[in-house]
Amino acid sequence: MKKSLSILLVIALWVCCLCGCGSEQAAEDGKGDDVRILMTLSSADTFRNILVNQAQQTAKESGVTLDLFDADGNLENQVSHIKKAVSEGYDVIMCGPVNVDTAKEITVLAGDIPVVFYNSCPDESVLKADKYMYVGSSEEVAGGYQAEYILEKFASKEEINVAIFKGEKNHSGTVGRTDGLKSGLKESGEKINYVFEDFATWDQATAEKYFDIFLKTGQPCDVVACNNDSMALGVIASCKKAGRNDIMVLGVDATADGCAAIEAGDMAFTVYQSATGQGEAAVKTAIALATGGSASNIEGVTEDGKYVWVPFERVDSSNVKNYE
Amino acid sequence: MEQTKENKFLSIKTKLLGTVIPVVIVLIVVLLLVAYNVCAGIIEDDSRDLLEASVSNQASRIEAWLNENLAAFQIVKETIEDVQPKEADLQKMLDSYYGYNSNYPEGLYIADSTGKMQKATESAKQESDPLNSTWYKEGLTRINMAYGSAYQNAEGINVISASGILNDGTGEIKVISADVTLERISIIVNSFIEMDGAEAFLVDLNTGTILAHRDSELISQKLGGEGQPVFYGDVAAKITEADYDFCTLDGNMTVFEKVNGTNWILVSYIPTGVVLADLAKLRTIMLIISIIAILLLCVVVERMTHMVIKPVKKLTETITSMSSGDFTVSVSTKGNDEIAVMSRSVEKFIASMRSMISSMGDISGKLKGQALSCDDVSHDMNDAANIQAQSMSELNMTVDQLSISVNEIAENATMLAGYVADTKTDSDAVEEKMRETVDVSEKGRTDMKRVGEALENIKLSVQNLETAVNKVGTASGEIVQIVQFIGNIAEETNLLSLNASIEAARAGEAGKGFAVVATEIGKLAQNSAESVENIARLINQINLLVEDAVRQAGDSVGEISDSTELIHTAVDTFDLIFQNVQDTSQLIESVVEKVNQVDQVATNVAAISEEQAASSDEILATSEAMLAQAKGISENSEQVAEEAKNLATSSENLAGQVQQFQI
Repeated sequence: MKKSLSILLVIALWVCCLCGCGSEQAAEDGKGDDVRILMTLSSADTFRNILVNQAQQTAKESGVTLDLFDADGNLENQVSHIKKAVSEGYDVIMCGPVNVDTAKEITVLAGDIPVVFYNSCPDESVLKADKYMYVGSSEEVAGGYQAEYILEKFASKEEINVAIFKGEKNHSGTVGRTDGLKSGLKESGEKINYVFEDFATWDQATAEKYFDIFLKTGQPCDVVACNNDSMALGVIASCKKAGRNDIMVLGVDATADGCAAIEAGDMAFTVYQSATGQGEAAVKTAIALATGGSASNIEGVTEDGKYVWVPFERVDSSNVKNYE
Repeated sequence: MEQTKENKFLSIKTKLLGTVIPVVIVLIVVLLLVAYNVCAGIIEDDSRDLLEASVSNQASRIEAWLNENLAAFQIVKETIEDVQPKEADLQKMLDSYYGYNSNYPEGLYIADSTGKMQKATESAKQESDPLNSTWYKEGLTRINMAYGSAYQNAEGINVISASGILNDGTGEIKVISADVTLERISIIVNSFIEMDGAEAFLVDLNTGTILAHRDSELISQKLGGEGQPVFYGDVAAKITEADYDFCTLDGNMTVFEKVNGTNWILVSYIPTGVVLADLAKLRTIMLIISIIAILLLCVVVERMTHMVIKPVKKLTETITSMSSGDFTVSVSTKGNDEIAVMSRSVEKFIASMRSMISSMGDISGKLKGQALSCDDVSHDMNDAANIQAQSMSELNMTVDQLSISVNEIAENATMLAGYVADTKTDSDAVEEKMRETVDVSEKGRTDMKRVGEALENIKLSVQNLETAVNKVGTASGEIVQIVQFIGNIAEETNLLSLNASIEAARAGEAGKGFAVVATEIGKLAQNSAESVENIARLINQINLLVEDAVRQAGDSVGEISDSTELIHTAVDTFDLIFQNVQDTSQLIESVVEKVNQVDQVATNVAAISEEQAASSDEILATSEAMLAQAKGISENSEQVAEEAKNLATSSENLAGQVQQFQI
């Protein structure tokens, strides 16, 4: 009995020592300087450019080094970035994955280096608190905001005919926004008819083409909820061609074109995804992981420590001017 | 005594076995429990992980299977859209897909908005009203083909269709579709299960119907419907809540996994009993091992202790005979462990005990003799002490009386000292009073002298007065003479006036005025004569008064001279009194001094007599103590005598005891 007690004590002491060393290490590194971040970008677009610019600015303000590499939509390029981060001893990697399905491979390649994913959310099983985290906006919330808007505008109708334009199949944005929208509508208890639901892969022209065809079927339609503004613009173009102005169109992202469409009265509602907020939060999370080893103090971190959520904002004709 | 000792006797072996074995059993049981619980935790976690991995993999494979088929359909659709074939060509194309793949043996079919349906020639697909069919309606809601809801087709088979709008450039709305049977999906679902004993089924989230299940009866039934086991109801509840976390429902470990690209959820479960079957086996094995271990341990411990305590047993026998006085026993020593050392020590002990007991026998004999002589001595001492006690008590009485007398003296002396002290106080007061009297008489004498002097002054003043009055008398005599002289003048004047009047009358009328003046001067002379008479009378009166005053002053001087003499006499008397009082004061002072001395003496006497009383008390106490001691000595010597007797008895007993030892 005594022996086992002493063994226990030894183990406890050992654990204490380890903890002590760990915290000491953290305290030493907690200065924030000398942190080197490697940022790999899947490919550039308007939204990501804003995000990247903000990330660079935040890095500059925090006094850390941020080196940006563009994978240009190529998975091999991105993998070479990760390998570079390992060989050159970067402290943390910020990764906008070319393909979320490869996130697991990226974490494996990164080895001991923590990875902050942004822009596109990998599967939950890949994420690990304070090691592999995702910084972005909860896609469900965006869909939820669309659902709220629809329910508010059609509160008097017993049946609502909804068309849904989805992005890429299996993309986290597509899945999250669509799920958020559908569950929001389902919870209301209203009778919802999904008169159209298809993947238009974020693309304006595809959306326009699909909606042309849909309109030919002559099915009733009250509202079109799109996973992004581009598809919404396609739908609007299609409506204009067909001379239909009775269909309400909803988007997500509050892009410049989207906002202009709201301004012009063509689009009813969009959801602003804060590219600057995401860029800033991603860099802050990266610094936290590289220094303190914990992101628990970052604003918007979830309880399981896997996600840092940057809030979405609702945009309609009343406040669109703030987002142009 | 021996009886209880035997009752309490416990051999070392019993003790060892009684302590070691329960402790070991407890330890093994604890170890077993800990190991069992840890293993159970690990196995459950492993099973859960395995189940989750299995269902995830299964879902991926189902998705892949579905997508594979869907991709094939989509290729057909896109080919048609690209080629935009005529009706005959289209028919050929549809025919070519009939039986092309066992997953969709009927191939693809197309319906347009007029209800016209085109299918493979050999296809058995029957649809009376394509426009109201599930596949057509669902197909209208998408361009890319996707799986819709499960339904029963015209042949009564549960199928699921992948359908979408065919945009073949004709401008007509057409829907292209292909059927997959739920039976087939069920086979696919269940053939992908990776975990032994696990079951899985597929549920459509939109409609809540079971799409695939090993039990084909349940396919296309509503999940949690009537006649289904409780488990399905629980699963339905979880799905309604959209809570897809791992849980144990109705004794089944259950996991949920959404199938990507569809609105389907895969539910996989395994009865907890299956998972824990291994655990039960583990438990049995551990139990058997521990029982064997305990038994083995009992045997080993028993044998070991037996070997170890064998020499101890021999030694115990030796010591037991030693304890009954038998020192003739011998100890055999072998080996060099603790017990051998103990044996050798016992051997030495026996040898030393032997010599000790024999010398003890001699000593007890000597002791007895000494005890007897001691007894005699103590008797003598007792007698002497008794005599001493008697003498002491007499002495005590004498000292007691002495003490009483001295105490009385002390009391009286104290009283005397008290009285003397009082007298001293009184005489002090008298002395004080006397001093005051001296001062007063001194003052009286002084005052009296002053009175004498004052009287002398008065006497002088009165004599001066007399002289002054006599001078007044002389002056008044001179005044009388002057007045008489004036009277004479007045008379002469009057005569003159008469003469004048006569002369005037003679002169007649011319002397009339002179006659008036002569008359007036006559009157004036008469008035002056009258005044002179008054003054003379007044001065006579003054002379009488002055004479009276002179006489009275002379009387006063005489009286004052008498008083002065009396006062001088009084002053002399006062002097005498003062002298006497001063003498008296001196006498009193000396008396006070004497009284002081008496006071000191009396105080000293009181103190001395008190000391004497104390000393006599001490003497009394000492003599009483001596008496008590003498009595004590007497008693002690009696006890000594008693003890000496006992000693003699004891030494006899000792001799007897020593004789019991066998040496």
